[in-house]
Amino acid sequence: MEKKIIGKVINIQRFTIHDGPGIRTEVFLKGCPLHCMWCSNPESINKQSEVGVYPEKCLGIELCGHCLKACEHDALVFEGDKILRIDRNKCVNCLKCAQACVNDTLKIFGVDYTVGELMDVIKADRKFYDTSGGGVTFSGGDPLIQWRFLLEVLKECKKIKIHTCVESELFCNKKILDAILPYTDLFISDIKHMDTYQHQLLTNVGNEIILDNIKYLVDKDIPLVLRIPIVTGYNDSDENIRKTGEFIRDVLDNKIIQLQLLPYRPLGEDKYAALGLEYPMKDMPRLDRDKYTPQIYRIVELLQEYGVPAVAGALKLTEVMQKESPELRGVSQRERYKRVDANGNR
Amino acid sequence: MEMSTQQIEALVAEVMNKMGNQKNSTGGGVPSNSSGNLKLNENFGEGGCEPFDKEYGMMDFGDPTKVNPSPYDRINRILHRVHAIEESVDDERAMLYTEAHQKFGGNGGRQILTNAKILAYLLENLTINIYPDELIVGEMAAPARHSPIYPEFSYDWIVRELKDNSWSSRESDVFAVSDEVKENLLSIADYWEGKNIKDHLIANYLTEEEIKGTSLEDGRPVFMPNLYVYGGVGHTCVDYENVLTKGFSGLKKRIVEKLEEIGDFSTPENLEKREFYTAGLICLEASSNFIRRYAKLAKDKAAKENNPEEKKILEQIAANCEWIAENPPRGYWEALQLYHFVSNITLIESNGHSITYASFDTVLYPFYEKDMKEGKIKKSFVSQLMESFYVKIFELRKVRDNDTAKVNSEVGIGGACLVVGGQDENGNDVTNDLTYLAIEAHNHTRLPDPWFAVRWNDAAPYELKVKIIEAIKIGTGQPKLFNDLGIVPAAMAKGVSLEDARTCTLVGCVEIDVPGKEYGAHDASYFNLAKVFELAVNGGRCIDCGSGCPRWEKCGAKGNYLGLNTGSLKSFKCMEEIKEAYRKQMKYWVDRLVGLLNATEKAHAVMKPLPTLSAMNYYAVEKGLDLTEGGAKYNFTGPQGCGPATVADSMSAIQKLVFDEKRITGEELLECLSKNWEGYDDLLHLVNSDYIPHFGNDIDEVDELAVFASDVYFDEVSGRPNARGGIFVPGLYSVSANVGLGLAQGATADGRTAGEAVSNCIGPVNTHLGCHDYNGPTAMANSAAKYDHQRAGNGTLLNIRFTPNSVAGKQGTSNMINFVEAYFSKKPQHIQFNIQNTETLRDAQKNPENYKGLLVRVAGYSAYFTRMSKALQDDLINRNAYDEI
Repeated sequence: MEKKIIGKVINIQRFTIHDGPGIRTEVFLKGCPLHCMWCSNPESINKQSEVGVYPEKCLGIELCGHCLKACEHDALVFEGDKILRIDRNKCVNCLKCAQACVNDTLKIFGVDYTVGELMDVIKADRKFYDTSGGGVTFSGGDPLIQWRFLLEVLKECKKIKIHTCVESELFCNKKILDAILPYTDLFISDIKHMDTYQHQLLTNVGNEIILDNIKYLVDKDIPLVLRIPIVTGYNDSDENIRKTGEFIRDVLDNKIIQLQLLPYRPLGEDKYAALGLEYPMKDMPRLDRDKYTPQIYRIVELLQEYGVPAVAGALKLTEVMQKESPELRGVSQRERYKRVDANGNR
Repeated sequence: MEMSTQQIEALVAEVMNKMGNQKNSTGGGVPSNSSGNLKLNENFGEGGCEPFDKEYGMMDFGDPTKVNPSPYDRINRILHRVHAIEESVDDERAMLYTEAHQKFGGNGGRQILTNAKILAYLLENLTINIYPDELIVGEMAAPARHSPIYPEFSYDWIVRELKDNSWSSRESDVFAVSDEVKENLLSIADYWEGKNIKDHLIANYLTEEEIKGTSLEDGRPVFMPNLYVYGGVGHTCVDYENVLTKGFSGLKKRIVEKLEEIGDFSTPENLEKREFYTAGLICLEASSNFIRRYAKLAKDKAAKENNPEEKKILEQIAANCEWIAENPPRGYWEALQLYHFVSNITLIESNGHSITYASFDTVLYPFYEKDMKEGKIKKSFVSQLMESFYVKIFELRKVRDNDTAKVNSEVGIGGACLVVGGQDENGNDVTNDLTYLAIEAHNHTRLPDPWFAVRWNDAAPYELKVKIIEAIKIGTGQPKLFNDLGIVPAAMAKGVSLEDARTCTLVGCVEIDVPGKEYGAHDASYFNLAKVFELAVNGGRCIDCGSGCPRWEKCGAKGNYLGLNTGSLKSFKCMEEIKEAYRKQMKYWVDRLVGLLNATEKAHAVMKPLPTLSAMNYYAVEKGLDLTEGGAKYNFTGPQGCGPATVADSMSAIQKLVFDEKRITGEELLECLSKNWEGYDDLLHLVNSDYIPHFGNDIDEVDELAVFASDVYFDEVSGRPNARGGIFVPGLYSVSANVGLGLAQGATADGRTAGEAVSNCIGPVNTHLGCHDYNGPTAMANSAAKYDHQRAGNGTLLNIRFTPNSVAGKQGTSNMINFVEAYFSKKPQHIQFNIQNTETLRDAQKNPENYKGLLVRVAGYSAYFTRMSKALQDDLINRNAYDEI
């Protein structure tokens, strides 16, 4: 019997509109080679399934208590009647407590899917992809961590002509890229910092492999969207932005679809707590929209000096990707409406 | 002095030219080159006055007497004036009706003649008003935003609620009542006892046994037939095309011809026809005279008016009214004015609401086209006429009883659907300038009325779809969208011809209706599928049976049950046994539903024939038969199934916990539900979690249970004969009756606690522990599309709430269009959107003073959020809001 490949899925989000054109289903695969200090999804880093704890939802031992009966390793720590945390030293990650939990007090991050099961979910929204020019996006973590599983799913998608997008850190061997390239219609990746030492400090790895892989994709004419998550005080210096601009202009010849500047939102603190991890950005001041928005637009202008197709946010991709010949005459009304520039202006 | 036709035409041209060139007040509306002497088509091109993709942004939720949504000063002045009027009850119609009833009611004539004479008396004696700035005039038997009273339908609740002053003091739908009005209305209470339809129905048609399990008694209702027991039927479309093409003179002429054709009045059948025609003539003549009264009033006002522009408008209104009192309209202004009068006279005759203004753009286009070709009218003036007309619809109010007020929050006349778009009888798309202008008129008035609806035809121009979505994004909840791929086959499935089905329109919330050809009794009853399921699995007993129930003494205390004993979960071994019990229980209750509704229709035919509405209807006149007796071409009765997802999620929980896992026995589950989950908190949370497959997540195994729950209802209802020679046609929507039905129902196995709403329309279950759909809007839409929409010929309804963020900008517009097109390709009938943040709604609950203008979509209609009861507000908040991802 053929061995079934299993994927660890953190989440499947239907009706996403930011990661690729049109209406999409986004599959988040577990595991990430980077460990960015601003990461909002700490549950995506570890490759294995794990249990998060949300004590505020706990009904208490008296009314419920199913987790206590299920745990065979005395790993659950209670405060009075209600659960407080999991003692991760005792826990063997058998997930039994979370399987017994009646609500999401104990929540499993990482569910097993076969290729067929995942395809069933992806295919369910086919009609929405077709009307909107959408498809499926694989994200994570980094979906390339589970590249064998990803490859099989991508192949299935292309068999039935569903548009595929892979959002990856590109911290990987080129052989993996070569394997998935024939089945991937669009890549999305990040340039988090141009200085490899800083990159190492911020994400745990240097940037050489990543930048090299970006160039590799561009040289092969693979449609690519790049992003910079702008984290105030970490990677928004003029020097770093100018270096990014130079890289995209000089090395990539500006042959990317878009460079999206995304605001870093300090989210995910509750997830760190649920996993018993310390929140690394706790000293980060709350986002001040009034200061932050002009800063993003300033960076957009700076990058545009280099001829880089930079935009603020991720919402203007569909228009750009569906943009066709400059001639309006003879173009259907539908296309005319969609004919917009990189900033979404008609 | 009568004006010559030439004089009138000259005046029309002059006034309209001036109005068309009026400068915008707030800018941004009409393009700046709209003034000058260019012909209108050169001004704007095809479509409306504004670019099709104009983004309006989220509306101002503040005090509507202070905001200026319209680009026209005149319309903003009207809006401020009308918003400032306190909603009140008016007694004049009730008093005049009583006088007339005393005068004509006891002389032994047939009811239809009596009713005609009473209507004539009303139209002759009602006070009439013309208000400042308005371009379209006419009221419904009461001043603007005052509710008239209809004692002939039911009166005991009016007396009860007047005595305890609840209308002015209740939580929602507040109406002021002056001491004088209260005294007058109470003075006729004795007269109407036993003389109204409801008393007659209860006394002569229905036994105590027959009203068991209905909302007509205190207890635990399975169905709520209130509407037609306590009020008029309405829910129809006046034969506007017939009236507008023939005019009143033409209608009268045809009736005279019919009388001459018959000639021989020696047979009983022909005698009845003669009475029908005579009554029609009386009503039509009275209607002409009523419109002439407005002509005279306008003329008098014009004489006293000092402002030359207003003077000219009043003179023109007088000329319009004088002409259309007899003749078919010659242009757009006259046509719209006649349209409005005809609807209002229909509402004076009966308080049956949901008199549909459909299909607006198609019916009025010939008049618009003629005026445009002849250069008589400017688009921006057409805009202002429509906006003035919309406000007139907003002025129509209807006071409802306390129970209805608690769950409905609809203070308008209700159901004044105005429909645009769709196909003609040959299947061609009908989109024209008026389609766009009608949408713009809504964008400029931002009112809950009319209930604005669009038929979404796949073949419609893309520009129209953009225009529709930009209107929805204003956040009024309007318009609602109907899918031609779904409603046309559904109309055909109930027996409508292909050509008629293509020209169908929408009545009330979501009901499919052929304008002028159908009398559909579309809102006959709300029927709780979840209650049927409860009785099916609990031996015919209510789950909360006990001395707390108002009917305990005559029911449980005597060892009786509300329903049929169809077995119990205590002994059921598999899902098939449950399904069989549900089928049997369903038949028992649908038998009762159909019986009661047929009795109700008989009572209406006997006591409240509708000679005016019938005389305007081509088919009724040709047949010589009142609409209440089957005069229409198509005769249907439409009761709605409610709570299918509650049934599905209950079955799903039982399948998994009782049959598959044996985690709990059927007996224990019944015990748990009878205790309203007390002591079973863990189980309550578990059934509310995604551990149980829930409807709304695109999971076939449970979605099929929802389809089963509704199919069994369709099987029982479809095709049963009704009292007008037609058949019953089921719908699948609850409007907000899911709140009312839920209030009177004990706990259910889907994780609903006692008193919570059952599932909304064809949407998912939502309880205080959360909404049962968690896979996003595409999954919800896929689940909803699985129902057999074609068999629900009386309509289906899907509510979706998006956050403003998720639909922002041009990308958001395009996403919404794509979303609608993908959903509609699966052939459901309808979708409607709320574009609101949960935080906004919660803040509005806390600080209502800041949100006086906050409109939200409740069901087939939108209403002001801060004037709703908390139960309904909570139900709206609990529905999932789909955010950007």
